[in-house]
Amino acid sequence: MLRQPLSRALALSSPARVAPLAARRYADAVPAQPEKVEVFIDDQPVHVLPGTTVLQAAAQVGVEIPRFCYHERLAVAGNCRMCLVEVEKSPKPVAACAMPVMKGMRVKTNSDLTRKAREGVMEFLLVNHPLDCPICDQGGECDLQDQSMAFGSDRSRFTDIHFSGKRAVEDKDVGPLIKTIMTRCIHCTRCIRFASEVAGVDDFGTTGRGTEMQVGTYVEKMFLSELSGNIIDLCPVGALTSKPYSFAARPWETRRIDSVDVLDPLGSNIVVATRTNEVLRILPRTNEEINEEWLSDKSRFACDGLKRQRLVTPMLKDSRGNLAPVEWEDAVVAAARALRDCPPDKLLAVAGGLADAEALVALKDLLNRLGSEHVCTEHYFPTQGAGTDLRSSYLLNTKIANVEDADFVLLIGTNTRFEAPLLNARIRKAFIHKETDVALVGPKVDLTYEYTHVGDSASIVKDFASGTSSHEVMKRLQQAKRPVVILGADQLKSEEGPALLAYTQELAHKLQENLQDKEWKVLNVLQRTASQVAALDIGYQPGVGQALAAGPKVVYLLGADSGVVTRESLPEDVTIIYQGHHGDVGASIADIVLPGAAYTEKRATYVNAEGRAQQTLVAVSPPGKAREDWKIIRALSEVLGAGLPYDTLDEVRDRLSQVSPALVAYGDVQPNNYFAQARALAQSLQKPVSGKLDVQLKQLEDFFMTDAISRASPTMAKCVQAVLKQKNSPY
Amino acid sequence: MSAARQAIKVGTKNVRPVLSVNHGEAKRRVLNLYKAWYRQIPYLVKDYDMPKSEEQCREKLKEMFLNNKHVSDIRVIDMLVIKGQMELKEAVNLWKQKGHMMAYFKPTEEPKPKDFLSKFFSSNE
Amino acid sequence: MSLGKYLALDKLANLFNILKQNGGIRGTLYKLYRQEEAKDGVLVGEDKFGNKYYENPRYFYGRSRWVEYNEKFHLNYDASQVTSEWYGWLHYKTDLPPHQDPSRPKYKWMIDGNENLSGTTGQYTPYSTTRPKVEAWMPKKAE
Repeated sequence: MLRQPLSRALALSSPARVAPLAARRYADAVPAQPEKVEVFIDDQPVHVLPGTTVLQAAAQVGVEIPRFCYHERLAVAGNCRMCLVEVEKSPKPVAACAMPVMKGMRVKTNSDLTRKAREGVMEFLLVNHPLDCPICDQGGECDLQDQSMAFGSDRSRFTDIHFSGKRAVEDKDVGPLIKTIMTRCIHCTRCIRFASEVAGVDDFGTTGRGTEMQVGTYVEKMFLSELSGNIIDLCPVGALTSKPYSFAARPWETRRIDSVDVLDPLGSNIVVATRTNEVLRILPRTNEEINEEWLSDKSRFACDGLKRQRLVTPMLKDSRGNLAPVEWEDAVVAAARALRDCPPDKLLAVAGGLADAEALVALKDLLNRLGSEHVCTEHYFPTQGAGTDLRSSYLLNTKIANVEDADFVLLIGTNTRFEAPLLNARIRKAFIHKETDVALVGPKVDLTYEYTHVGDSASIVKDFASGTSSHEVMKRLQQAKRPVVILGADQLKSEEGPALLAYTQELAHKLQENLQDKEWKVLNVLQRTASQVAALDIGYQPGVGQALAAGPKVVYLLGADSGVVTRESLPEDVTIIYQGHHGDVGASIADIVLPGAAYTEKRATYVNAEGRAQQTLVAVSPPGKAREDWKIIRALSEVLGAGLPYDTLDEVRDRLSQVSPALVAYGDVQPNNYFAQARALAQSLQKPVSGKLDVQLKQLEDFFMTDAISRASPTMAKCVQAVLKQKNSPY
Repeated sequence: MSAARQAIKVGTKNVRPVLSVNHGEAKRRVLNLYKAWYRQIPYLVKDYDMPKSEEQCREKLKEMFLNNKHVSDIRVIDMLVIKGQMELKEAVNLWKQKGHMMAYFKPTEEPKPKDFLSKFFSSNE
Repeated sequence: MSLGKYLALDKLANLFNILKQNGGIRGTLYKLYRQEEAKDGVLVGEDKFGNKYYENPRYFYGRSRWVEYNEKFHLNYDASQVTSEWYGWLHYKTDLPPHQDPSRPKYKWMIDGNENLSGTTGQYTPYSTTRPKVEAWMPKKAE
């Protein structure tokens, strides 16, 4: 496995390549700064650290040097030669991306020699590149198109005098997400570097040399990665394009709306490309603190699930027990009647994993007005001890970006690769570039990097916490300057959950006490859904177990589709009201269906696993008669005679900020403390534990379909089929 | 320096009047227009066979004049008078049709829902 | 001019003739109710729908040939129920009714005329061939 970045092998310094972070403030992490050297880019002086490349120095003064193979977040390859620039006193042009600066270097990025070199390189690239831009999906966002316009020659000397045609390469089949047209490939090797460095799947490589060189998977094989979609963005030409989006639209036809992903707990920043009120594709948006510029495959490709299995009209059960479409008035009145006729203690509201904070607070306010306190989330979290009162007990306190700085990561009962792919990519980045080591307590899974497997028994955590363990991981943890402990929230569902959390808190607290860096947070709990943190912040009770046992009369499901609430677990005469955007588990057991909006159709607040509030924006309008979720609850409250005191989104957000200012501090993470108090409150819960830790998502095929949107997505279904097929192939 | 002076000059420039030079004159023009309309109302009701009484038309006339009572800029008042004059001419010369006249009364316009619940039921705003 | 004509007795005779042919007073009133006119005439023929074609040259040209639609249509008769064979005779394109016209061409590929179904449940409705942008969820039907 690649453990050393190529840059290190080339004796280049790595700090400049790691994304600059505002949060990088740990004093001992910064080595003594070497003296800066002065170089001249087109006669503009610039002071940079030694080891910076010419290309980066030029970028600092705003001179962009054309490039194909170079990418900030990947190792330097230096094989496309597009970045050739003239350097004074150098006999030939140098590749700016791989050339470290030297004192007094004078670089000319727009001289005759540089221009001639670029035109030459471009001409060679185009000799073997097909002229199929009109039918190429990259058209309009193609680096080769743009750069041949900006830097290429105005004429070609390519004449096919022997009528042998251009170089042609057979297309590869790398799965249902990525379409390959390998003739267009210019061999920049970005995809290869991404696969081996970031995704951790060493499947891509080159074969042959010269004209015969081909990029591929050696044998016909699917690209088995949860981050595979990113190579579509990386590819500077149309060799790798999106299969679901193929021939769908041109980039200039689409409207791009900034939004936030809700299919995993990290809240990756996305751009939703729409046309004619239809979501066409989802692209990542750079946010250094969360997803850098990557996006997981589920977040990227599940968007076609937004067009299928949708609830487009309110529905009521008719006399024969079939759900029949009705008008909003009838549905709201029916729901209001059911809620009003129900004694408050027999009322239960359950919020699912895709619910936004506005709807959550509206639903809680409504139930509280009706005199009920039974508002629950689907996922359990121990309420003993400090429970959900202290925010630090259920958040990813270290923050995603800071995981890069950790020197030891202990994962307890979580498969970060599939529960939070981009967090896993961060851990992998730290593992490769910073010599971070990883240990895992839980079932053996493929995390794409090497780790020490401690075992899968919960008692290991107990031994760690009490300090009685003799495992070498214990020693490593104690020696670590910046350890990180990540506990999977799924483990807390079981009987031993409270004890496991208590032990983890104890362990984290002990580690934190010994740290020199007092700012460093050790304890992390990785939630499974996008709504859980916001729900706990608002004051929802985690888990429905007790509430279900009490035998409710009316159950209000707010997008609760994970299947924890079933008809069988409820009394016979129960009325189920389902509000959500997909016909899934929840809607199929409902008596009254109220269609809501999905995350691309509303302006809504989501709080990610770190506790960072972010908002989605309206990209398309809700289909049919669907309405924004908080408005449905607001309308219901008025019909019930318990009108909620907000009419506009701003007023709902005022209410949110009353509940917790952190819910409307968009983009920020509030610092969390009170670890010691949480541990002290939990100390009595430290009972012996003996169970085995197990994770829900073990294999790649488990990853693709986990929620109502991705279950409705045909692309995700194809992915599962393809992965299962790949499992049976000999490769 | 000269640019700044220019800007001040532009900012404080005396604008050319449209018709009236002072408020009194503007007011006179408005009242004249009002009277002209007022006198024409019986003929308009008859000519266009409007299903409205003269009383109703006078009320509407007053209402439409009062819609602009907040306007204080003489130039704007003059422009409104000119437009009103044009409308009057169109009406008196029968260049309009019955529908145009009835459009002043907005018979088909439904009031937009104001409260949350009716907005919720009427559209997906 | 005969006396009968002079006293308009022939008109009276026509009236009695019409009443007689249309089945008495009740029958005539029914005819008037159904087709708003009652005439007397010679039955020329009947088509496959059971519509009866009459002729009486006493009426003015243009009104001297008419069709009485089959009873089963009641008030729902329609001009398109006149078959294509009879259409020519009814519109004075030919004076020979179909069964007396030997020179009419008969080919295998000729299809029977059929009635215009617009406005009925059998009407043609164009359907959209475009893909819906959003597929709605269909709830499972209870047995």
